[in-house]
Amino acid sequence: MSAAGRSDWRDHDWHLVHEGPQAPALHMALDDVMLDEVAAGRRPPTLRIWEWGGPAVVMGRFQSLRNEVDAEGARRHGIEVVRRISGGGAMFIEPGNTITYSIVAPGSLVHGMSFEEAYAHMDQWVIEALGGLGIKAWYQPLNDITSEGGKIAGAAQTRRRGVVLHHVTMAYDIDAAKMMEVLRIGREKLSDKGTTSAAKRVDPLRSQTGLPRADVIAHMVEAFGHRHGGLVRDTLRPDELGRAQALARDRFATPEWTALLP
Amino acid sequence: MVDAIAHGEYKVPGGKLVVVDLELSGGRVAAVQVSGDFFLEPAEARDAIDAAIIGLEADAGEAELTSAVAAALGPETQMYGITPEGVAVAVRRALDAASDGTGGEA
Repeated sequence: MSAAGRSDWRDHDWHLVHEGPQAPALHMALDDVMLDEVAAGRRPPTLRIWEWGGPAVVMGRFQSLRNEVDAEGARRHGIEVVRRISGGGAMFIEPGNTITYSIVAPGSLVHGMSFEEAYAHMDQWVIEALGGLGIKAWYQPLNDITSEGGKIAGAAQTRRRGVVLHHVTMAYDIDAAKMMEVLRIGREKLSDKGTTSAAKRVDPLRSQTGLPRADVIAHMVEAFGHRHGGLVRDTLRPDELGRAQALARDRFATPEWTALLP
Repeated sequence: MVDAIAHGEYKVPGGKLVVVDLELSGGRVAAVQVSGDFFLEPAEARDAIDAAIIGLEADAGEAELTSAVAAALGPETQMYGITPEGVAVAVRRALDAASDGTGGEA
């Protein structure tokens, strides 16, 4: 712990949670539950890697449902629309096409930093991990990771009870045409999504590494542990999963929450 | 009685998109929803922004709108990619769209 009250990555005992595929609404709830668990000291700081049980649009906390999502397109493609607890923009997810992770950490890790510094700080390990895979990547404020081959990822943070939740979705191999049928993305936002209307795939990770998605994840996990003094393999506790399932049912899977801002 | 429904958007320079959907009645804002891909803590601050805009006159200027939004936010509020000025511009655009009859959807 530095004199300024800021902790180093290596001051913490990092745990890894990487479960099998889970429903989109359950992922929303797990972020909420794990934030509380770390705040209460019942869970060590955790890196959670998500596997998706089905296709989803994940809206930011403050986005309008009808302004962001083409409801008919989402229905046609069988896509679940959910709202997360952090701000930021909508993401289009299909299982296997993205790499999504959450970091739940004590706020001391970013103590005294501006938002801009805190976002970059929480993903510095990813920039280095990507470098190890031969991708020259960098942080693009406010909340993107980009590369010579286009935008790779978008991040979002929220803070509560002295804990910071930082979660990121990285584009491995996204079907851009389908994304355009589901998200209402204005022409000016297209460049921000790392694509143009002509692109069929948004695949900066697949095309620039040539590696299967699982290998990219394995490399990231290795890099995180190496840089941060270890990463202990862990699982969700039954009570955490139980609370998250109840929260998904009662809140994150309800039309009231999804249409919080209609 | 709703006189007009309108939509306005503004990309905050170096920041995020602020989207405003509002209803006008009797020359005042009767209902409003401020949304977008910005970051705001605590989340309830967004409700306070909506509340600050309701009741304002349709000819309110950007400075007045900015002051109203800023005054509604407590000292604990943290904004990233959104500013009171940015909200004001998006509201003003919606109000302009309402007065020119396009509703901002054109």
